[in-house]
Amino acid sequence: MSETKEIRTQERAASPATAASEEKKAALVPPVDIYENENGIVLLADMPGVSKDGLDIQVDKDVLTIKGAIAQQIPEDAKPLYVEFSGPGRYERAFTIGPDVDIDKIEASMKAGVVRLFLPKAEHSKPHKIEVKVA
Amino acid sequence: MLSPWLAVSDPAWSQLEELSREMQKLFGLYAPSGNIRGVVKGTFPPVNVAETPEKVIAYIYAPGIDPEKLELTMEKNLLTISAGRDTAAEVGENTDPAGYYRRERFSGTFKRVISLPESVDPSKTEATYQAGILTVSIAKKEEQRSRKIAVNIS
Repeated sequence: MSETKEIRTQERAASPATAASEEKKAALVPPVDIYENENGIVLLADMPGVSKDGLDIQVDKDVLTIKGAIAQQIPEDAKPLYVEFSGPGRYERAFTIGPDVDIDKIEASMKAGVVRLFLPKAEHSKPHKIEVKVA
Repeated sequence: MLSPWLAVSDPAWSQLEELSREMQKLFGLYAPSGNIRGVVKGTFPPVNVAETPEKVIAYIYAPGIDPEKLELTMEKNLLTISAGRDTAAEVGENTDPAGYYRRERFSGTFKRVISLPESVDPSKTEATYQAGILTVSIAKKEEQRSRKIAVNIS
């Protein structure tokens, strides 16, 4: 009986330390596709395991940061047999954006583990045709 | 005479060799790399397999798949998944997919065969697809589950 108690306290003591080391471990880097059309930039990122609530998108000055926490339900008594996908349980990737992006109008959506961002261009930086006068 | 390269014993060379071996290991090129159905790192989609006393669960990390086009079969202990996705079609109508800066995401079709423990009962398979993760759980055969044995004290 006393043995079980000891193990439990050890576990409890160990958990904050593991949480801290989890935090330190480099996050998974999601693969992205980036396209541009005349209205703005389209960014798609693969982040399986992230739901809408776990997604965190920030713009700080000219840096766009995409973060996502993996919320995967795994039974408590499950033991891994074979692992290809492993890591600290979160994704992070940042990009530098230019002054041509209207950061107030960035749109984000999430579907089946794929994040879709649309970074609209500010009105003044949209392409406009220049009329060439024939003299 | 032996090639002079074979006789080299300079420690710098052996270090280089070791580095090269480590690199090959890292990219999964160094034989033997385990199971014949094993894949190199970066294969899409990555798969994890776990087991509980009652079942075996395969997690397939395949975001952006249309569940209607997903094909899943179980034959004995082999789980086969085939599906695909076209990232160029995902972009949207008003965007030319040729105008890209980065294209890192997998595009195309895939088929993976996962060898599960032989204790699984293929007739009891359930699958769900959520947040880009396909979870397939297969019950173990009744007679192959681990069970506790009570010890009688005489």
